[in-house]
Order: sequence, then structure tokens, then C-alpha cells
Amino acid sequence: MLFPLTVVVLVAAVCLMAVAGWYAARSLVVDDRLLLVAGVTELGLLVQLVVCLVHLGRVPGGGAEQATFAAYAITLPFVPPAALFLALKEKTRWSMGVVAVGAFAVAVMTARLQQIWNLRG
Amino acid sequence: MAENPSGPPAPGMPPPATTDGPRSTRSGPGVVLVAVYGLLALAATGRSVLQITEYFSRAPLAYVLSALAALIYLVATVALARGDRTSRAVALVAISVELVGVLVVGLASYLAKDAFPDKTVWSHFGSGYGFVPLVLPVLGLLWLRRTRSS
Repeated sequence: MLFPLTVVVLVAAVCLMAVAGWYAARSLVVDDRLLLVAGVTELGLLVQLVVCLVHLGRVPGGGAEQATFAAYAITLPFVPPAALFLALKEKTRWSMGVVAVGAFAVAVMTARLQQIWNLRG
Repeated sequence: MAENPSGPPAPGMPPPATTDGPRSTRSGPGVVLVAVYGLLALAATGRSVLQITEYFSRAPLAYVLSALAALIYLVATVALARGDRTSRAVALVAISVELVGVLVVGLASYLAKDAFPDKTVWSHFGSGYGFVPLVLPVLGLLWLRRTRSS
């Protein structure tokens, strides 16, 4: 995995988590700013997916590691849209909490992806 | 903990679906609980499928328990998301099994290390998942209690 790309995705995901958490605390609902941050995160995840699939053959550790790597890369881009869909449908502070949880999951999974990649040694 | 009970309802917001009877388990903070359950269901299912298809013989007991955990999380997620009367009962059973499971497997993973050569969602009380598997069933049971018919 490209390390700079991982950093970009992580920063975007942490920003999304912060904004959503702040909105939840202030009882705000989804707006353009949140959608913009989520959009940047999603764009990063889509680029990451392509990069991951291109380099899948170079993932160390055999079939199981490669399967995990691919599964993470493919699952990740689905997380922000799912959370945002709920946030747009149910405009409560609690759906902002869901977006924050989703953004946290994106950060953790992206870090795991980089971890698996780093095992190449 | 309804949304902002002191203020007037926001314009365009539908009124609460039920006033008497139990509150829906996905209302208010419940939706966050459903989301966290959904995430764990996803993580546990993914891990379990991988463990069973790729290297089942390495730790059969641990991997069967992984699959059980995944199933429990899936059932709990769907039951909490549906939130009707039957689903509440299903959720109560699922989350109770989950609590017992994480406690028993967590303890066993320390006492009988040989049986757990590889990690499961519940081993070491869910330390690999930030102890969320330990906290979640407690929150789930408290939430079911709180949303009982008042």
C-alpha cells in the first residue's frame, strides 16, 4: 500500500469522525460540510481499492492474508455511503453518532490494511 | 434519553411511532448500538469465514466459537434493527448468549491457552477489538431494559 495514500485516508477518516462527533454533541444534522469530508474520505477509499487490487499479488503471507487484504479493501468503500445514507434518512444527532462509528471503523481497517502490507519486510 | 425531550420536535420530523408500549430499539441512541453491532457482525463474519475456509485444522474449537460469535452478532443486529416485540425477545436471548460467551471464552482463553492457539472475537475478553465485545452486550441489555414498555 502507498503509505502517503494511507495517511490521506486516515486523516480524512479522523476528520469525518471529529466532525460527526461534534455534530452529534451539538445536535446538528448532516450538512454540506459533513458530506464534503465524507466525499473526500470516500474518494480516498476508492483510489485505495484500485491500488490494493493492482498490488494484491505482492501481499505477503499467502492466500489467507491476500483474502483479508482484498476483503478489507473492498468492504471499506461501502462504509461511508451506508452511514451517510442513514444520516440523510434519519436526521437526528444519533445518526451522526453512526457516521462517527463508521469513520472510526474506516480508520481502523485502513490501518490494518497498511499493517498487512508492511509484513512484506 | 429521547432526542432532546425539553425542546419542541424539529419541523418535518415524524412523531414517535409508539407512545405506549415499548420504544423501538433502534430509536435515539439505539441506532448507534445497531451500527456497532452491525460492524462487529461484519468483522466477526469476515474473520470466521476466513478461519474456517483457510486454516480450520489449526484451532477447530476457537474457529467454531468464532462462527458462533458471528452468528450471534448477526442475529442481534437484525433483531435490534427490527425492534418489534418478537425481535426484542430474540435480541434478549442473543445478547445474553453473547455476554455469557464473551465471559466464558474470555476466561477460558486465559485458563486453557492450549485450546486457543489462535484468537477469536471473544478470546481475552475481546481485547483484539478494543474490548468492545465485552462492553457491547452490557450496553445492549441496558438498552433493552430502558426501552421496555413504560
